[in-house]
Amino acid sequence: MFLITIASLYLNIAISIYGVIAKPNLVKKFIALTIAQDSINTVAILMGYRVWREAILQPPILLSWSPSPKDLQDFMNRAVDPLPQALVLTAIVIGLAVNIFLVSTILHLYRHFKTVDMDEISKLKRGAIVEETA
Amino acid sequence: MQVGIGYVENLIFILMGIVSLTSIPFVILAVKSRDLLMAVIYSAVQSTLYSLLLFLLLAPDIVLVYVAVSVGLLPLLTILLVKKVGRYEA
Repeated sequence: MFLITIASLYLNIAISIYGVIAKPNLVKKFIALTIAQDSINTVAILMGYRVWREAILQPPILLSWSPSPKDLQDFMNRAVDPLPQALVLTAIVIGLAVNIFLVSTILHLYRHFKTVDMDEISKLKRGAIVEETA
Repeated sequence: MQVGIGYVENLIFILMGIVSLTSIPFVILAVKSRDLLMAVIYSAVQSTLYSLLLFLLLAPDIVLVYVAVSVGLLPLLTILLVKKVGRYEA
């Protein structure tokens, strides 16, 4: 089942990158890009995961204020890796800023060209360039 | 070792597998759909499933940020964009 989780996350990344490349609509490209971003973040979390075999429902925290060496040993054995979590937390917040920038860019493109279809936009741009140089 | 621990462990793994398998059709629908509003809703459902998956992966601090950003804020922003741009893909 763990392998199924990994495989389906990779499949989601593949489908959403196909959506970014193949779909002409810019809003659809944006939605697929956010899905790819979320899937890659989840894969990064999955790398830091560790099964704690003793009692999996207890959270991975220290339970006493002055821990003995055995407590610390247990904690080291059961804690998940916090480094990917810190990276992903930062990546989500930075990704939010980037996504808002992309939304405002798409809105400005729509106000300029009156369409969000990428094929139409490239045709209009080509026409404008030909008009200027003729 | 306690009795019944393997069962709980397998249950968590089975839940993770089910959640991630359920997210695949929603990603396909979000990429395939011609209706942009429905695509936004499908991607929000996918984000909800991912937040459950992150909770099962013992990352509750990520879930706190992820739910607010990816289930709340981004679909709201995208729906506003779809309202400006037009609902149906040509």
